[in-house]
Amino acid sequence: MSDEVLATPGVRKWRAPGFALALPAWAWFVLFFVLPVGFVILLSFGAKPDIFRPYSLEVLSFDQYAKALDPAYGPTLKNTLRVGITGTIACLVIALPFAYWLAVRVPPRWRGLLLGLVLVPFWTNFLVRTIGWQLIISPDGIASSVLQQLGIISQPLNFLYSRSAVLLGVVYNYLPLMILPLFVAFDRLDPTLREASKDLGASRFRTFTQVTLPLAMPGVVAGLALVFIPLMGDYITAEVLGGAKGNMLGQLIASQFLSAQNWPLGAAMAVLLMLSITVTGLLFALIGVTVRSALRRRRRIVIDTGEVAA
Amino acid sequence: MTATAEPAQLHRRRVDWTNVAMGTWGVLMFAFLFAPIIVIVAYSFNTGRLLTSWNGFGVQGYTDLFDNPVAQSTVWVSIRAGVIAALVSTTLGSLAGVALARRPGRWVPFFLVVLTLVLVTPEIVDAVALLPWFVRLGTDWGLVAFSNGLVRLVVAHSLFAAAVVALIVRARMQGLDESLEESAADLYATPWNRFRQITLPLMMPAVLAGALMSFTLSLDNTIISSFISVTGNTPWPVYVFSSVRSGLRPEIAAVSTLMLLLTLVAIGIVGLVLRRGGESSGGIARTMTGG
Repeated sequence: MSDEVLATPGVRKWRAPGFALALPAWAWFVLFFVLPVGFVILLSFGAKPDIFRPYSLEVLSFDQYAKALDPAYGPTLKNTLRVGITGTIACLVIALPFAYWLAVRVPPRWRGLLLGLVLVPFWTNFLVRTIGWQLIISPDGIASSVLQQLGIISQPLNFLYSRSAVLLGVVYNYLPLMILPLFVAFDRLDPTLREASKDLGASRFRTFTQVTLPLAMPGVVAGLALVFIPLMGDYITAEVLGGAKGNMLGQLIASQFLSAQNWPLGAAMAVLLMLSITVTGLLFALIGVTVRSALRRRRRIVIDTGEVAA
Repeated sequence: MTATAEPAQLHRRRVDWTNVAMGTWGVLMFAFLFAPIIVIVAYSFNTGRLLTSWNGFGVQGYTDLFDNPVAQSTVWVSIRAGVIAALVSTTLGSLAGVALARRPGRWVPFFLVVLTLVLVTPEIVDAVALLPWFVRLGTDWGLVAFSNGLVRLVVAHSLFAAAVVALIVRARMQGLDESLEESAADLYATPWNRFRQITLPLMMPAVLAGALMSFTLSLDNTIISSFISVTGNTPWPVYVFSSVRSGLRPEIAAVSTLMLLLTLVAIGIVGLVLRRGGESSGGIARTMTGG
């Protein structure tokens, strides 16, 4: 449309193609994202020839993948998946009532302020927040002294550098990424739909599970993805709260690149990380789609009688 | 809410318990969300030698910070990298965003795929991709600029940010009627004048929000920075991260508190700009999360 308008002033000028304005960004992404990631995938088939060079691409093989999955490193992938899935589900369970409350129950004039408050931790440095938790749960920290004073524990709290501490850390760190899309989803919903559901005699629970939640599903899916993907690649939380145990894949990858200088092995681990994120995501998507279609079939409404079938 | 008094009251009496439960949950959540932040700010006033054990109240952490040139230089590196990364990503992202909204074509799906990939790739993958790439460009191919720590930080920080800016600007431009620009063209405005006088002012809130977000994203970036940073150009989160292993001191909490204040000021400005641009709180949340 605008092309025709532009063409009207008589002289037909040469017009740059549509993507011209996006060309600098294209070039940037290709040069510093597509090519480097491609190179890392290539690197994962390479080998570490000697202690002086981080990699060599003379012989390409799957050796690094075999090594990354062998008993020395394999369990870490499993543990990362476990932390990733548990943490993501915990985030959803914790954030769901909170986001609903924030978007629906809180009076509108408070909503902006409270949402702003939720954004504060989101924008506080990730590492700093994690160090904050270290201060709280360390043996000479606040939680320990409070619990000892209350007589709940007699010894200093022994919680830091454990798996549960890492789980606490990741749930905390990625919680805002779950709250925000859920809030947006609930905020968008038309309140009259809930009222209609209520007027038709549905209980509050039923309204939530059959009206509100299905409509907020895009937010739930976005939240799950926003939490799960970075959580799987996290190594800072595990490093600060899990100690040197190295239970997350991210820590292993970092050590291959930063201390062991075995880049091909680290690259293979990074590719495995991406694959496991993708496969898990697809698996859950498949489960979700199946469950949804099963539910839809069960709740199908037969129009001519006006009754809910079965 | 504006219903007659009697049903409203009946309604309220029935609602109460879930409301109370949800409100309690909400308060607990805020306590949970703010606990470590409050602790960090409080412990920045710890006079002990080690951060973890509380000794007494004082501003020693801050004075130590002012006597510590290494810590200070990391802050300056972060601010410099943040400003340049914000300029780069805002320029690239804004142009791409305008093109996405105003020049649709067959290129758009391809570009959106790349944008999405940039946004969903875990940071650690970017980090392990960029480190060998910078070494390759800088050492093997002799492009010495890529051995420079600041250049590396700017490039690394601008990727995600440029994608976010592109989406914000696209959303803004899609929400605006194209007829303004068309009528400017009908009135014989040159493409440049049309862009400068019509398009640019219209997209400005999105551009400003994008720029400030890029700045704060860069300021906070820890994972990629810890892989690619070069000695002498260490940004502050990497400095803090290295002290996690070597021993946390109160000055770490002090620098964290100061950077938190800086980020909050930047975010506050974004919020104001967006609000003046007429965004709802939901819209702001969408913008802030880059969706």
